[in-house]
Amino acid sequence: MDQYIELFQSQRAAIESNAPQVLNSRRQEAFDAFCKLGFPTEKVERYRYTDVRTAFDINYGFQLLHDTSATVVPNTYATLARPDADAIVALNTMLAQDVVVVRVPAGEHKVHPLQVRNITRATAPLLQVRRMMVIAEAGSRVQIMLDERAESDQDYLTTQVTEVFVGAGAEVEIYDIEDTAARHRRFHHLYADVAEGGSLTHLAATLSCGMTRNQTDVRLTGRGARALLLGCAIADARQHVANDTLIEHVAEGCESNELYKYVVDENATAAFAGRILVHEGAQQTRSNERNANLVCASTARMWAQPMLEIYADDVECSHGTTVGQLNDDALFYMRQRGISEAEARTLLKQGFAAEVIAEIPLEALRPRIHSLVEKRFRSCEECQLCTNKQP
Amino acid sequence: MLQIQNLHATVGGKEILKGIDLTIPDGEVHALMGLNGAGKSTLSNVLVGHPAYTVTEGSITFNGKDLLAMTPDQRAHEGIFLSFQQPVEIPGVSMTNFLRAALNAKRKYQGLDPLDAGSFLKLMRERRKIVELDAKLTSRSVNEGFSGGEKKRNEIFQMAMLEPTFCILDETDSGLDVDALRIVAEGFNRLRKPETSAIVITHYQRLLDYLKPDTVHVLIDGRIVRTGGPELAAEIEQQGFAHIVEGAN
Repeated sequence: MDQYIELFQSQRAAIESNAPQVLNSRRQEAFDAFCKLGFPTEKVERYRYTDVRTAFDINYGFQLLHDTSATVVPNTYATLARPDADAIVALNTMLAQDVVVVRVPAGEHKVHPLQVRNITRATAPLLQVRRMMVIAEAGSRVQIMLDERAESDQDYLTTQVTEVFVGAGAEVEIYDIEDTAARHRRFHHLYADVAEGGSLTHLAATLSCGMTRNQTDVRLTGRGARALLLGCAIADARQHVANDTLIEHVAEGCESNELYKYVVDENATAAFAGRILVHEGAQQTRSNERNANLVCASTARMWAQPMLEIYADDVECSHGTTVGQLNDDALFYMRQRGISEAEARTLLKQGFAAEVIAEIPLEALRPRIHSLVEKRFRSCEECQLCTNKQP
Repeated sequence: MLQIQNLHATVGGKEILKGIDLTIPDGEVHALMGLNGAGKSTLSNVLVGHPAYTVTEGSITFNGKDLLAMTPDQRAHEGIFLSFQQPVEIPGVSMTNFLRAALNAKRKYQGLDPLDAGSFLKLMRERRKIVELDAKLTSRSVNEGFSGGEKKRNEIFQMAMLEPTFCILDETDSGLDVDALRIVAEGFNRLRKPETSAIVITHYQRLLDYLKPDTVHVLIDGRIVRTGGPELAAEIEQQGFAHIVEGAN
């Protein structure tokens, strides 16, 4: 805690002199919230599975940006991501220096996906504070790819807060693909509001990481709004991946679908917590949540927690979770055909993840993720020099 | 040549095979018949190295090599193929990737380069026709959504791709209608080379009418109690096993 309080107090003037005014206007409240909340312990329900303090305890450096005060930041900044609700969001709001803003004017259809690529590389431990806003005005359409990578030889901590405003009838697809390294810690909070007839698709793919916690909170606030949340997580060595999702059905006639699949091996720990909250009055809600997990070693750990809370009486909701192991019959069948045990295991893991990839609406992305997944399994089981593995 | 000597094997601690002696020279087809629970499938599982089965005594050599010392995939590379009684569905793993992995593993074992994508797909197209397997099926995941008959045809298709020299057909005829049985049996016969040998496990005469075994063995309670020519299968078809069981006791 202290290092972050000190950092803020000592750097506040320098940060504020270069940052957009909208960001500065929320700092004090964020700082107060951070001091009040403190880092979440395992007693905080939504942080039960992630040991936050080990990620924040390291002494990170912080880089001051050049003048970004000209960035036009919408006044809706920090309205979905409320600093008083979450200490890490508060920390991010305290220290944010700039915002990546994607605004799509009403009715405009972006033909090509937009790609935001973050490559983290430094010579000393580094704290990154990132902020993003997506404003898709009525009837617009946009696809965004977030590509996260990091070098393996340094300690990194990345916090990202993303706010997504999906206007009436707008369609937003966000594909968040992480392929980082053992010493990279990442906390991504994404908050979305979907207006009448709008639709949000979100994929959280964790191919490789150190410690990752993705929180995805979606509010379906307009009649007929839709959300599709997809997740694919691969964890081995001592990696940790947690996805915590909340989908709120606020308006009538909304639909949400959710599919998260994990492949967990070796000493990895992973968690999925998915809460669907159907508010009073959200009639004709349709919601389906599914989480399936493959635990490939007795030393690996997986926590799965689907939650369904319904305060309306005319709804169609289902949820389910499974935790299983590699199918021995399938393994033997493949070996009888001459496939080695390691190769058979790889094929089964890839096959397990394939179901999520098939659900990705952006067709051109599917073969790319397939090949990334394949590369991931092969590099970690067959390559002796793999840098993502800890001893 | 496959040579089995005094083979004893257990599954779950229970002895199922109680001293099997069996020699199958190259080019011969041997039928294995017997009541359920006699040990027919146990023998086929032991031959392919299924981890649930433990050999407690005896030996198996294949072309002079100690089969029991090999892993299941090595046995496959040496040319042993099991047509499974119940082929396994593998969601998410395409037939193409599955067969490419299998074929290239065997080629690597033989010191050959992997087959390039074009040649591999051409080979799939050719071999598919032997068992009249629909192209739609080979573009799916392994056995997923296949009917019982399609799964059995798919087994013979895999045999066509991998070109084994010793085949075990474990009740390949079960669940097949008359036409499918003909396609499967004729497919097998077309794939047979002069040196190919096989064990055919079946309850019925019909499959044997097509495959024309050289020798028929009757397995009762973990032992081979009678061996004869094709006429033995006809005798069992007419009279059942009762008189053989009595004769054995």
